[in-house]
Amino acid sequence: MPITTTRRRLLAGSAAALALPAFARAQGAVKPRLTAISQWSAGSDGAAITALGKKFEEKGGVWQHSPVPGFTTEMMNKLRAQIMAGDPPACSQLKGPEIAAWSKIAPTVDLDAVVAAAGYEKVVAPDLAKLHKPAGKWIALPLQIYSTNMLFLSKRAMDKAKADKIPVTWADFNDLAEKMKAGGVASPIANGGTRPDDGQKFEAALAGISPLAYRAAIMNLEKKALEGPEIKAAFAQVRKIADWMDPNVGAQHFSTNLKRFVDGNMGMMIMGGWAQGVLRNAGFKFEDFLIAPGPSDNGKPVFLLNADAFIFWQRKEADLQAGQTLMAQLVMDPAIQTMYSQITGSIPVRTDVDLSGEGWSEGQRTTSAALKSAIASNQALLSMAHNMAQENGMTAAMIDVITEYVKDKTIKPGQAATRLAEAVEGAR
Amino acid sequence: MRERSFVASRILIYLVVLLIAAAWLAPLAVVVLNSLRSNEEIAQGSMIGWPQHWAWSNYLTAWSGFCVAETCAGIRPYMLNSALVTIPATIFSTLLGAIAGYAVSLWRFRGDTWIYGIVTLGLFLPQQMRLLPWTIVLRDIGLINTLAGLVLIHTIQGLSFTTLFCRNYYVAIPHELIRAARIDGAGFFRIFWRIILPLSPPILVVTVIWQFTHIWNEFLYGVTFTSGQQQPVTAALIALSAAVADIPQHGVQSAAVIIAALPTLLIYLLGGKYFVRGLTAGAVK
Repeated sequence: MPITTTRRRLLAGSAAALALPAFARAQGAVKPRLTAISQWSAGSDGAAITALGKKFEEKGGVWQHSPVPGFTTEMMNKLRAQIMAGDPPACSQLKGPEIAAWSKIAPTVDLDAVVAAAGYEKVVAPDLAKLHKPAGKWIALPLQIYSTNMLFLSKRAMDKAKADKIPVTWADFNDLAEKMKAGGVASPIANGGTRPDDGQKFEAALAGISPLAYRAAIMNLEKKALEGPEIKAAFAQVRKIADWMDPNVGAQHFSTNLKRFVDGNMGMMIMGGWAQGVLRNAGFKFEDFLIAPGPSDNGKPVFLLNADAFIFWQRKEADLQAGQTLMAQLVMDPAIQTMYSQITGSIPVRTDVDLSGEGWSEGQRTTSAALKSAIASNQALLSMAHNMAQENGMTAAMIDVITEYVKDKTIKPGQAATRLAEAVEGAR
Repeated sequence: MRERSFVASRILIYLVVLLIAAAWLAPLAVVVLNSLRSNEEIAQGSMIGWPQHWAWSNYLTAWSGFCVAETCAGIRPYMLNSALVTIPATIFSTLLGAIAGYAVSLWRFRGDTWIYGIVTLGLFLPQQMRLLPWTIVLRDIGLINTLAGLVLIHTIQGLSFTTLFCRNYYVAIPHELIRAARIDGAGFFRIFWRIILPLSPPILVVTVIWQFTHIWNEFLYGVTFTSGQQQPVTAALIALSAAVADIPQHGVQSAAVIIAALPTLLIYLLGGKYFVRGLTAGAVK
């Protein structure tokens, strides 16, 4: 992870101050050009960013996108190399608290004027907005949102359980899982075996039990909350979930078991909204499953946000600066967000986009409604498992504890809670 | 009686060997079978299964169809990039390693063991640790985001290994041979070309196989120091497989993996016989 020194910060700060007037001058008659790096290279992600590039070209821009195949680590290696080489991309994919961390390494563009012109701030979830203006100024823009705690229910497993009601609270959820077990569903909870998969089960449990405790413990790392009873209750719920999972699933992608889920041999899946697209691309129909917000004990939807974003790096070239402005305008454009989300299966960042029309799935509408309701009740939270709540190092420390707990059933919820608090202390 | 127990033990040995072979080959069999199944067939069934319809089209898609972001040219251009990096880097690192190994084993000079030690120390440095230094070097010499930069990296990093192996092989060559040549007036390079190199094929095969495989399969530097259409084949393979939010394209992935593995497989088939021979040549003495 980036280690920042005060000297670097000073340098970055003064460079930013010097470059500001240049940005203001750059709005002249040059042809906008954008160099961008992202990890979106294949599948619907690749298709979506390609479509965004086409729009950029339609507006008269020159689109130069370099995909960095792999995951976040590879992308960050590449970004670091480009920054050190003095050739940062005009914009790059980056999300969560990493935006704040990386903004200290190299000077970023102040997007406040473009954001104000678009009236964007009013339509973005407040916690999300905060991530993209770490020092009070917008330097990055969120592009699309997924909820990481959606509940997918297998229709056939519901039939086996003779149930038709979608569970709202964790008690309902546990009830349904028991019924499924009794009705012959081999594993009432569908699972993969990756680290984020385990992390998602814990964050869904805690956020559903107490959004307040989640905010205090996981997002703000308050010691008192980390040692509070809600964490222990969340671990107890995760143990129940783990007992309903298939223990023979190793470190596999969740999609490996979709067939068993649809067939009703696995019952419920806690997964991000992207699973809709995965199910559809695997040839399954929307009639095969139901989708709802994850369990929430107070009855109102809890929304764990995972938002992809672009951060903008300062460049002196006038054409790149014009390209950055154009890109920022495009990313915030409701029509572009609609196009993007319809390709990937996410929902738009803008809460004012109407999802009633064609091209949107029922699952996306449910997700969008859940987000609006969650923002209204202050229950839109940042996902820990997908690196939105904390920087990578802290997230890794927390997931280590969770994953071990999911796999090793001799660990008691109380012990796990203590370990989690210790891991956070150690990673601070 | 003795005859029969001999046959029985033979059968047992073959059985065990066959079992081990089957275990080792099982993953390959899964990949080969999946390369011939459609995505839908795999998703709707199980990861392990016999193809219901032979999906040969996977190979076509893998070779020239699938998209890495805006470029839909399959694995083909990336294979070429990998060849453009791997072949020169393998040749350079092997040749330089042979010269260096020869120098530290047969031309004893002050501090030669130190130099040898420092060079081979490179084997123990994790790749990630070298990432930033290489960034600075490539930036300063203007080779960042070029295939030439990758050739340089693999040539220099390969030296640790090639020097180690050539040196261990050359220490077995009798010093009298060198002395006799020097009396006849031969210098450092003449002895190398005329005496050492002709004696080297077994160890050169080992280093070539090793270097070729490693450089061909390398991902971290390939993805960090090149962009877009300059990327090596490993980057394209990862691009094809790294989508978290998508159904993995197992069929096309498997086909692409098999195509990408062909060059290294070929090198092994051609040189494998010499591999063990070269490795053990020094050990016997």
